[in-house]
Amino acid sequence: MAKLTPEGLDKISKAVIIEGDWIKVGMSSCGIAAGAEEVYDFFVEEAKKRNLKIEVKKCGCAGSCYAEPLVEVKVEGLPSVVYGRVNKDVAGKIIEKHIIAKMLVNDCIFDSVV
Amino acid sequence: MYAKTVLIKDTDTTREDKTREAYTRLLDCLREDNLHDHVQVVRVSDIGIYEHGLVLKIYPDNITYANVQESGLKRIADSIRDSKVLEEFVFKPKARQLRLVLRNCGKINPESIDEYFASEGYLGLKKAISDLGQQKLIDEIKLSSIRGRGGAGYPTWLKWNFAREVKADQKFVICNADEGDPGAYMDRSILEGDPHSVIEGLSIAAFAIGASKGYFYVRAEYPLAVERINKAIKQAYDHGLLGKNILGSPFSLDLEIRLGAGAFVCGEETALISSIEGKRGTPHPRPPYPSVKGLWGKPTVINNVETLANIPQIVLKGGKWFSKIGTQTSKGTKVFAVTGKVKNSGLVEIAMGATLREIVMDICGGTLSGKPIKAVQTGGPSGGVIPQDLLDTPVDYENLQKLGSIMGSGGMIVMDEDDCMVDIPKFYLGFCVEESCGKCAPCRIGGFQMLNYLKKISEGKGEISDLPQLKRISQAMQKASLCGLGQTASNPVLSTLKYFEAEYKEHILNKHCPAGKCSHLITYNIIEEKCKRCGICFTNCPVNAIVGDKEKGYSVIQEKCIKCGRCFDVCKFKAILRK
Ligand SMILES: Cc1cc2nc3c(=O)[nH]c(=O)nc-3n(C[C@H](O)[C@H](O)[C@H](O)COP(=O)(O)O)c2cc1C
Repeated sequence: MAKLTPEGLDKISKAVIIEGDWIKVGMSSCGIAAGAEEVYDFFVEEAKKRNLKIEVKKCGCAGSCYAEPLVEVKVEGLPSVVYGRVNKDVAGKIIEKHIIAKMLVNDCIFDSVV
Repeated sequence: MYAKTVLIKDTDTTREDKTREAYTRLLDCLREDNLHDHVQVVRVSDIGIYEHGLVLKIYPDNITYANVQESGLKRIADSIRDSKVLEEFVFKPKARQLRLVLRNCGKINPESIDEYFASEGYLGLKKAISDLGQQKLIDEIKLSSIRGRGGAGYPTWLKWNFAREVKADQKFVICNADEGDPGAYMDRSILEGDPHSVIEGLSIAAFAIGASKGYFYVRAEYPLAVERINKAIKQAYDHGLLGKNILGSPFSLDLEIRLGAGAFVCGEETALISSIEGKRGTPHPRPPYPSVKGLWGKPTVINNVETLANIPQIVLKGGKWFSKIGTQTSKGTKVFAVTGKVKNSGLVEIAMGATLREIVMDICGGTLSGKPIKAVQTGGPSGGVIPQDLLDTPVDYENLQKLGSIMGSGGMIVMDEDDCMVDIPKFYLGFCVEESCGKCAPCRIGGFQMLNYLKKISEGKGEISDLPQLKRISQAMQKASLCGLGQTASNPVLSTLKYFEAEYKEHILNKHCPAGKCSHLITYNIIEEKCKRCGICFTNCPVNAIVGDKEKGYSVIQEKCIKCGRCFDVCKFKAILRK
């Protein structure tokens, strides 16, 4: 890989633009201990199976360890929200309701997460 | 698709949860206003505000209403229709988190350098190398007044400046990621969530002092952090952000990881250096300080993970920007790992100067049990307890020290009335005794003796003369111990003695533990009038200390009872008396 120059670095910081819909799963030790890996795999599989235009991503711990696994969902036109204590069951609802029907899922959001 | 979203939650825990009623009522109101296809209402589990009645958040307007009465819901529906804001319900938060160190944690993929680039990654390093140069860089850090986050709070710029001024053929930088305090895990989260920010901070430190080699000293118990640092280091090498001639400049830096085997004392800087050198991890007397004579006798800067994670932002936004955050003596933010009897345990980052009460009550939602807070412990085994009535103290290095505790690395343990103020210091002191390296006598012998006194008191064999004796030994340890471990090990004892002396005396004079924690001082008995003879205690007792049957009822044989409390926990009728 080519070594970066100062100008190259400036260019790269502006070039990386993250857009489109995504699901982020908190995959630090606390999330993994609470079952985040299973949830992550489930989203990846479902997205593939149903041919959804959504990127499934990993991220670190957002700090709200009491509510792990945490899953943040961004869908165009809806506020981005964080779901907490997500298991496969809740993950299924997120796919059906939030991603496909474009409605937030009741009783699973932790809006305390910054 | 809905144009607006309303999140709703009843945050009052003193009565029955009314979220569902309010939700239905609001939907009805919206239907009356013909808005039901326009606005979606969502019940949420946690809305981030506590004990403020019914709370609503409206997106995308970003309006928060609190203490809303059921009658107010109609007016809120109307206000949405008319695009108005109802000032009287608008919630004004007292305490907010301010995320500088954790700004990328939970936001970016820690395994992707591109995502770090997209959030200003390595621009701080670039600015340091291309625009500032060593002197101006250190001036910026001086202007920011940042102090070390590893515990002692030493000014970072001063350390860097010493190391820079020493002439040497080789200098080193070390990132201290040993994090041994029980209950603290801020550093792990930063390394797992945003490893590049720490690498960038360490590179800037290396540039400032002229070091060409750096180490991450990470405990082996953090395998995921190690894996992510490893990946990040490799990515940085691939992009020419580590290695020879970084960003086309004469500055070169190599980074390596060293694993620590989990000894608490190896977090102490001189012991850490010995450990990297392959020697036994024991501390040395200072001076000489590591910044003058450190790793392999060369000038070495050791900084904590959180200190380093602050550096790129300080360089990029300027020392002045940073110095505007926080209190007179303590600038910037601090990350705390809040655990114990708290509702929302986790990491909290606040600007210095926020009060303990704001952290525990407003941000973390108070105690899980709903019982009142008795005290908050900060600073781990080197810190102390701060009683409930002093929780309005603004958090900074000096204030916590005045109260007999310390800022420490950021552990914060919340305790309620079920925690015993003899048992807590006994736990911490036990930890220090186990972790003492044994090199110096005050720590090795003093700690052991103090622990014996605490054991004696908690077993009901204490004498009133033990209290001054505890104070005497701790004075000797503070004055004569070789390193911070022994110098501070008695803090948990001294601070509980200062604020909860009555509880010690209750143990000594009345052989009674008010919190019901010290097992030697409590007994379990069955209250006959309340007992329904269900037998659940009988079947659950692990040592068959409960005898009887469903006809005759049950009783506890005191000689056999091991005070484990199983019967107390399983009884559904509160028929077990703990005294
Ligand atoms: C017993 C003991 C344990 C320590 N453990 C740590 C630790 O785990 N992490 C840390 O950063 N500093 C720890 N320190 C403090 C370090 O000696 C040193 O002050 C710190 O790493 C300096 O970094 P800073 O200036 O960025 O805070 C410990 C000190 C003592 C006495």
